[in-house]
Amino acid sequence: MRGYGVYLLTRLGQFVLVVFIGINISFIVTHSTPIDPVEATIAASTMFGAVNPEAIAIMRQSLKELYGLEGGLFEQYLTFWRRVVVLDFGPSLSAFPAPVSALIARALPWTVGLLVVSTVLTWILGNLLGGLAGYYHQSRTLRFAGVVAMAFHPIPYYIVAFMLLIVFGYLWPILPISGGAQINLQRGFNLPFLSSLLIHSILPITSLVLVGLGGWFMGMRSLVSNVVTEDYVTYAELGGVDRRRILASYVMRNSLVPQVTGLAMSLGAIFNGAIITEQVFGYPGIGHLLIQAVHAGDYSLVLGITTISIIAVSAAVFLIDLLYPLLDPRVRVR
Amino acid sequence: MRIWRCVAITAVAMLASAAAHAQSGISNLPRKETLIVENPEGTIKNPGWFNIWGINAGGQSTGLHQLAMDTFWYIDPNKGVDGVWDNSLASEKPIYNADFTEMTVKLRRGIHWSDGVEFTAADVVYTIETHLKTNGLRWSAAVQVNVASISAPDPYTVVFKLKKPNSRFHALYTVRWNAMWMMPKHVFEKAGDITKFAFDPPVTLGAYTLHSYDKDGKWFIWQKRPDWQRTTVARFGEPGPKYVTYVDPGPPDKRVIAQLNHELDIIHDTSPEGMFTLARQSKTSQGWFKGFPYAHPDPTLPMVIFNHQNPLFKERDMRWALALLIDIKAVSMASYRGAATISAIGVPPTGTHPEFYHDPMEAWLKDFEIDTGKSKYKPYDPTIGKQIADMLRPSMGDQIPSDPAVIAKAFGRGWWKPNPQAATELLQRAGFTKRGNDWYTPDGKRFSIRITVEGELRPVMTRAGSMIAQQWRQFGIDATTVVAQGSLVDRRNSGDYEVIISWAVETWGGHPDLSFFLDSWHSQFIAEPGKMQPPRNWSRWSHPELDKIIEQIRGIGFDDPKGIELGREYVKLVAREMPTIPLMAYNVFTVMDTTYWTGYPNAETAPYTDPVPNWGNTKYMMVRLKPTQ
Repeated sequence: MRGYGVYLLTRLGQFVLVVFIGINISFIVTHSTPIDPVEATIAASTMFGAVNPEAIAIMRQSLKELYGLEGGLFEQYLTFWRRVVVLDFGPSLSAFPAPVSALIARALPWTVGLLVVSTVLTWILGNLLGGLAGYYHQSRTLRFAGVVAMAFHPIPYYIVAFMLLIVFGYLWPILPISGGAQINLQRGFNLPFLSSLLIHSILPITSLVLVGLGGWFMGMRSLVSNVVTEDYVTYAELGGVDRRRILASYVMRNSLVPQVTGLAMSLGAIFNGAIITEQVFGYPGIGHLLIQAVHAGDYSLVLGITTISIIAVSAAVFLIDLLYPLLDPRVRVR
Repeated sequence: MRIWRCVAITAVAMLASAAAHAQSGISNLPRKETLIVENPEGTIKNPGWFNIWGINAGGQSTGLHQLAMDTFWYIDPNKGVDGVWDNSLASEKPIYNADFTEMTVKLRRGIHWSDGVEFTAADVVYTIETHLKTNGLRWSAAVQVNVASISAPDPYTVVFKLKKPNSRFHALYTVRWNAMWMMPKHVFEKAGDITKFAFDPPVTLGAYTLHSYDKDGKWFIWQKRPDWQRTTVARFGEPGPKYVTYVDPGPPDKRVIAQLNHELDIIHDTSPEGMFTLARQSKTSQGWFKGFPYAHPDPTLPMVIFNHQNPLFKERDMRWALALLIDIKAVSMASYRGAATISAIGVPPTGTHPEFYHDPMEAWLKDFEIDTGKSKYKPYDPTIGKQIADMLRPSMGDQIPSDPAVIAKAFGRGWWKPNPQAATELLQRAGFTKRGNDWYTPDGKRFSIRITVEGELRPVMTRAGSMIAQQWRQFGIDATTVVAQGSLVDRRNSGDYEVIISWAVETWGGHPDLSFFLDSWHSQFIAEPGKMQPPRNWSRWSHPELDKIIEQIRGIGFDDPKGIELGREYVKLVAREMPTIPLMAYNVFTVMDTTYWTGYPNAETAPYTDPVPNWGNTKYMMVRLKPTQ
């Protein structure tokens, strides 16, 4: 148990270090952007209407004061860390004075909902089909399923997404192609809203599942193909144990450990958002928000999103590290 | 098998039910009474913010500035519902004193805010005084620079006392896309810190009020006011749509799909390819022009902008040489697939400008001569617009007009004829030399030019830049493009470029006065190298003659006919000096679906306003729209 305690503390130290370095890199990268949020604001405000050149200088100064960009970089760095500690990233510079945390809190449930469902669905389907295909390798149906899964895997995601849009949005227009729910619906736990939510998520989830399925399928099939050659599987087969039991209890279960790790990593990465999915399907999630923030030079918002993402991914890895020795005795604690 | 059958049946049932939902984009609103419009701002990050005076806080073209706001005057970029100029909240044009240090505005009576309070001079005084004492509002700086004081001698008159003479002060309150909107005093005076006041729901002066909006910023629905007669557009009739919804429909392909499914009545802009698809596949979709090029030419002039603080571009001969190496037909094909409206002169070929500038100056342009020192050339080819039309006719057939007047309006008139020989002579006179196939600068370095383009954020302009780079490269200049993406604005404003594809000319469109952009071209506003340049003289070009023209315009009234003469002097000057190379109008592929609504503006029979729906001027469109069902 003492060994486990040392292991835990070491991993905790690594977690803190990774988060610290990651957030610092984010700060440096965002503050090195050639896009100045003040100039972006001025451009947005003066692009089409009447402009008084003399007024622009005053406007520039006012915006710097308003956005709190007057201090030096180190001053901004200290302010940033003070805010990170209490998870308050200050006001968004492109939607001033809305707080960054409010923008993230509004977008995050959409992304989490979309990606948790699609990731788990892809994982279950991919592993199930991959496991079956690895064990019943003579089955034509499973071979065909494998061909389909692998055919979609190398296609660039956006092509699959646009293909779905054209098929189900135009040629056979049975599914909505944009947004998270129907316009002007009362939000809440009511049937019209929930069913609209479900219907609007079909195309984005299908696109993610189609493209993601092949990876899990191939991984699981290879793992199962190795496990079936193990002595204990051969012994069980010779001993007349039911094949379904062998598959479920001996083969799949032993093959799942690395796949569970992969799942945890994928779930952690959910906080990165699904940028292309959200762009293509107009889904109001964190990826869409991030792209908007980058284009506007809104580094408060970019930093808010990346910080949460860094913490989430690192925390997922940390949890896996903690659980690994408990789940799999073959992983030794040194 | 039974399980799979159940799953299949359930899936089919769900899809069938989904079909019903997918075909009705808006819940609980009658589609026949609802106009659905694209908002090009996309998803609004702070949708619950309707305080349009708070800079950069929420959306503007969510319907907020088109349907809910109002101000003194509007200038239409085309012909206008009742002429180009409309007195909106003002009952007459601005009244200046002799030296333009005072502007009096007479207000229209009987206009009410949506909560029933009458709009009076008190609202105007409050708006101006608030901007005078509050920094950081959208129009604070513009008011603080100009206004010394404001007074209201009676409830329907306001008098602005200015800090210095300004004959164009009214431009601040004259809508060309937007302008400074009036604030409801009775709401804002109770709001506390107005930089933090969301103004949700907004109290409106326009004919619509907010019905609902998406907390994620994807859509905004506006509803016609029951008392629309007490708003300024009522002079032209009742607005047609009971509801107007502004949505973020996503990328161009999705906008096309949405309109093909009749779920998006007005596409703000799409790609040329998207426009051609709609023209081919949808009988109910229409553009500004009935046929090619379909798009609405905005009063904006994309151009090749030289950085005049870079010594390389100091020589007029060199700039002219570069202009003579451009084949505008190829640029038109590359950028807009031929659907461009070209302009050889420094004024956009749109609105009433052809009438005031392009047509009257055609003779001067035909006679205009360049002397290279070795020979003289007349570079203007008046037939280029027609040549583009002829080039497209074999593939586009009847969509290409044959009437020369229509061709001139749709494709533009003439442009500079490519002339590599003249370009060679001009470059040689400027000290450039050619060794083998490559050109060298006077100081012996390889003649290289980096053209900054925006990239995928503005593909049409990017393709224009790439084609120009290719044409210059073919001549032996080491020309390449630099993709700036989101940093284009910073690079342009700070002068961090050699050549950039952007625009430094924007005009009223309907009114011939050029001060809208030209005043900012005065040398007094040119920033030092490395410092931020205020809009719009991005090339940082100055010329004593230009300063003189601008100063003369400042000294005359807005409607003074001398302004047109001075405008033509500007055109001649920039044709001679070629500080930037004008290319074409910024054509916007606004597409309108007539399935549910009719009466949209168009170039041929109803040029009453700009159809591009993010313009504040589109409030006039509402009174012309009628339901078809």
